[in-house]
Amino acid sequence: MVPALARNLTTAPATSSLLLLKRGEVAPLLGQWNFVAIAALWGGLLALERSAVLQAMFSRPLVAAVGTGLLLQDVPSGLAVGFFFELFYLGGASLGGRHPDHEMLPAVMATASSATLAAASGAPGTPTIWAACILLFAPFGRIGRVLEEQLDDRATRLSGKAEASAAAGNLRRAARQNLWGMWPHFFGSALLCGAAAYVGHALAPFENQLPLKVVKALAWTYPPLCSVAAAVAVRGSNARFAFRYAALGALVALGIGSHVLFMRGAPS
Amino acid sequence: MTPRALSSWVRLRIFMRSLFIQASFNPEGMQNLGLLYALYPALQVLYPKPEEQAAAVKRHLATFNTHPYVAAAIVGGILFHEEQVALGKEAPETVVSFKSSLMGPLAALGDGFFWLSLKPAVGALSVVTVPWLGAWSAALFIGLYNLVHLSTRAWLFVQGYRYGDGVVEKLSKINVAAWGQRLRALAAGCAGGLAAWAAIRFGSVESDWAAPVLVGACLATGGAAYTLVTRAINPYLVLYCAALLAGSAGAWL
Repeated sequence: MVPALARNLTTAPATSSLLLLKRGEVAPLLGQWNFVAIAALWGGLLALERSAVLQAMFSRPLVAAVGTGLLLQDVPSGLAVGFFFELFYLGGASLGGRHPDHEMLPAVMATASSATLAAASGAPGTPTIWAACILLFAPFGRIGRVLEEQLDDRATRLSGKAEASAAAGNLRRAARQNLWGMWPHFFGSALLCGAAAYVGHALAPFENQLPLKVVKALAWTYPPLCSVAAAVAVRGSNARFAFRYAALGALVALGIGSHVLFMRGAPS
Repeated sequence: MTPRALSSWVRLRIFMRSLFIQASFNPEGMQNLGLLYALYPALQVLYPKPEEQAAAVKRHLATFNTHPYVAAAIVGGILFHEEQVALGKEAPETVVSFKSSLMGPLAALGDGFFWLSLKPAVGALSVVTVPWLGAWSAALFIGLYNLVHLSTRAWLFVQGYRYGDGVVEKLSKINVAAWGQRLRALAAGCAGGLAAWAAIRFGSVESDWAAPVLVGACLATGGAAYTLVTRAINPYLVLYCAALLAGSAGAWL
């Protein structure tokens, strides 16, 4: 079974308009290690944007995953994974110096591994691959949060260095300490995202040998994962009467969706 | 209008450097290094004497923490007060009290509006458009969010620099709380609609009798997940339990 949403995502207009390559087709120069390097560089840059510079939401799962998909020539995987993680981490917020779960790491890691797995197996990304990668990399939300807290602790030393520099009269050096705290985020994220791209490639031979039952089980897993993510998103919306607004939205969608899909016939 | 000590170029530099305010966030001084990094070009201009400059640097190394976007208002306000201090019209303590009195309330304002309202609303709205816009939904997210984010950040910086403490009055005129509520409602509505829409789309590919069953199963999963997460059950646990159940159903049905 290929769920309709997945099919819809794979035929989304941007897929053909933004990429010159067809799905599953890999440019000859972009070999396995190029994919790993691109995923690592992209993951590192997003970590800088998320924790140090601008915070313009390039590191939100939808944007980060679609960007990963574009770079690794697998936009459908980026959309499917970004769709899920954007909803799952919708309510995450850094409040009072406390970090939320790291929403960017699992999104980029899951997309990178999906893209390399699909490329290595010579087939387009499927709900089976997406569900497997989401389940494999979702815990990195928590792991990333712990990693960020460790790096923050490490940055305390920079504060001490700045004070020492100011006391010694080296004011420029004191001011520039700020620029040193962001690089561990870059390297940590780059390492993990590059590793995820490699893991996807390494898993390709095993994916081809999976029993049909496991493939079917994973394919069936993707729709309920999206339902859970949407439910978590309702909670994460922080609205006062979140359930009422969600129910209203669901009723509207059910009304329109049922009419379009069941009365006029589902798209083939 | 009296001429200001800081040129437009210096102010632009400070604004650009304020985008790095979180670069060395740490549990002790929090954003202190980011704030000092942003202000340093102004301190160089305002305090040519090394000892005065050193004193200014030291007072901005104190603990500082606020929302990174609304920090622009405080940075602008600090420039306003530092100019007065440099002219001898205010005591250096004024700058310190301005910072410490505003960083808490402005953090609450920024967290409530940007992190808890705008971000979920734009996120949910963009996800809703994925089936129609594909990859462009990510561009929509960036465009919509940063239209508000960057313009607000620049506006706050200008207001802070122009009015100093008066920035609070300017902010109170915008009904941020009401806008926040509307955005959160939008996010909840979009998420609920998306759950239903996804369930229908997944179900629509099945045969006649199985379609309503699959739609119902997806909706029930969403409802159960909502009930569990509102009762403080770990979302990851809910996620893996749902995956296990769905996977078992897929394998054996």
